[in-house]
Amino acid sequence: MDKLKEIIEKTFSRRRFIAAAGGVAAASTVVGLTGCGGSSPHSPVTTTPTGGKFTDTDVLNFALNLEYLEAQFYLYAATGKGLSSADTAAPSGYAGSYTEGTVTAGSAAMVAGTNTQQQDIINEIAYEEQQHVRFLRSALGSSAVPMPSIDLSFFGPLAMTAGITGPTFNPFSSFDYFLVGAFIFEDVGVTAYAGAAPLISAAGVTAGYLTAASGILAVEAYHAAYIRTAITANAIAAGSASAYPYFTAANQVAALRATLTVGNSGAPSTATGNNGAPGSSSSVETALTLPTSKTQASAIVAADPTNAVGFARNVNQVLHVVYGSPTVGTAKGGFFPNGVSSIFATTTA
Amino acid sequence: MPKQETEILDDVIVRNRRKMLTIGGIALAGFVLPTVLSKDAYAATTYSDSDILNFALNLEFLEANYYYLSAFGCTIDKPNAAAIAAGAPSGGIPITGSVGTPGTVSAMGSSSTGTPFTTIQVSSYAVETAIEEGKHVLFLQSALGSSAVAQPSISLDVSTWSALAQAAGVIPSGGAFTPYDTDDDFLVGAYVFEDVGVTAYHGAAPLLTMSANLSAAAGILSVEAYHAGLIRTAINAADPTGTSIAAYTTKISALRAALALAASPTTLSGAAANPYDTNPDDYGVTTFTTPSGLGGGAAVTATRITDADQTNVVAFARTTTQVLNIVTGSGAVKNNAVVSPATGIFFPAGLNAGPNGFK
Repeated sequence: MDKLKEIIEKTFSRRRFIAAAGGVAAASTVVGLTGCGGSSPHSPVTTTPTGGKFTDTDVLNFALNLEYLEAQFYLYAATGKGLSSADTAAPSGYAGSYTEGTVTAGSAAMVAGTNTQQQDIINEIAYEEQQHVRFLRSALGSSAVPMPSIDLSFFGPLAMTAGITGPTFNPFSSFDYFLVGAFIFEDVGVTAYAGAAPLISAAGVTAGYLTAASGILAVEAYHAAYIRTAITANAIAAGSASAYPYFTAANQVAALRATLTVGNSGAPSTATGNNGAPGSSSSVETALTLPTSKTQASAIVAADPTNAVGFARNVNQVLHVVYGSPTVGTAKGGFFPNGVSSIFATTTA
Repeated sequence: MPKQETEILDDVIVRNRRKMLTIGGIALAGFVLPTVLSKDAYAATTYSDSDILNFALNLEFLEANYYYLSAFGCTIDKPNAAAIAAGAPSGGIPITGSVGTPGTVSAMGSSSTGTPFTTIQVSSYAVETAIEEGKHVLFLQSALGSSAVAQPSISLDVSTWSALAQAAGVIPSGGAFTPYDTDDDFLVGAYVFEDVGVTAYHGAAPLLTMSANLSAAAGILSVEAYHAGLIRTAINAADPTGTSIAAYTTKISALRAALALAASPTTLSGAAANPYDTNPDDYGVTTFTTPSGLGGGAAVTATRITDADQTNVVAFARTTTQVLNIVTGSGAVKNNAVVSPATGIFFPAGLNAGPNGFK
């Protein structure tokens, strides 16, 4: 656990400058290529871009990996068990190379001590993420990758790296801890779909993939809004951050997510990359705020502070978060001990 | 792969920059219309990204003014001290544009203090949302540049709200409702808009031709869904058993679904069923029994913070005609035929749109 933190800090300090500088250079080049009108049609986003090959199937399978993770987390939280094997096995006729992984449950269990309203919320999100797995598997047919190995015991190390103090972090130990655990995923899900939507090919748009992806994007944002609203409302009711430490914990998670992607390949909302400070002009994170009077604003929405347009993360940025590693070239770790089952498995920036 | 992917994203990044997002005067002859949308009967075949973004701008004018009135007691073009203190541009948000003369906003009367909120929670949500919707107006105006339309005439007064509430069955015929009296009333008013915003951006996203515009639309879509999730969460917290305002949401959703159905492609032209024909395409904030079990287990009771179809849990999308029919209170369709311009309810004089735009 300390090792992870050490790795992050070392990498952060050493790579930050170089990576950020690289991001600037890359972006500048593109400015020169596209001119100021931004008038290129949708054509840059095709199934087989020049110099590289990825397909709509690859994009959707990347999303499926994330949905497997979310579904397992929420299903364990709701029921104490995960996806049924019919939802994790390789589909009939699957000809790919990935094999079905296993779930390291750790302390995963039904969230303890919930009331009916809270249980109904967990049930809702669990059901909806399960259906996303089924929907994507159905859409992908025999091309759907089976579930990769997932480690639900990674919450503890992640929380410790984030600096969350107190007893060992366990998102299944109470509803409040569950909210913080969910916070780790939800904004990431939103931004991942936002980043993926423009990658879908023109043919994929016609086929309805973009509509499906943006519809799932919206659902992830509904979920994220629930989590952020619940934490904010509880903190307001408690009167201070210290009286509701889960509020601070959530913001520590946001700060860690930012740190994990620092300097990596440029946040889509910026030209210079993510400097790691939530709320700053070049971050893809919005920290929760704690209004103490009726004239102050909450910060339920995670969006860029200038235009209030939601953030996007590219696949590298998503992987840095779920692998718990800022290191370029990482192919596995964190929630995915054997990596995601995707051609995008290795971080390249 | 890696380099190419990075380049594509950089492309999106750069063109997503606010000052780059100018689309005036761009030829769109090569526009590829997704087949599922080609039956949107009154949409001109030559519409452009500008027309789509201007349609969104009309809706953002409506939303932003509602939240400004609720949070601060002023309209977006004339911010008061409370609005400016919360982050509104001190000079106001422009309401002029290249099409149409700026319309006025009829509101609740002489109050200039906004809704007298009693909780910090709901008040802070109103302030946040007001500022964000105002930024969406500014962002779209910036993106559209000289193509941006003026603010249409907007009605947010007691007659409009009462007509809507009566149609939804939230209040009896002849009753009166405004969303400016209490925390709960504000949430109900916000509920009327938010899921509609989600469906509108969702429906519009595949129509956009430029990836930068698509990225922006996806980003605003996510923010509208955050807002909708926020409002639905707050309603669920205020009325977990569905006996008061949560019950209203079911009626409002049913009304929206009926208006959307009346304007669906199949209803209008007998087109084959498509994603925009889902009915109902709207659910209130009540619990439901999941159609299938969790994992290998049994079906369970769940809340409905998310407004999406029950099987695939993909948020709903609506065509521009469907959205128009909702925000004008059935002004877009008469006798199974499209009426344009659509007028009524929130838009008494219709939307502002260019010759090929959506109104």
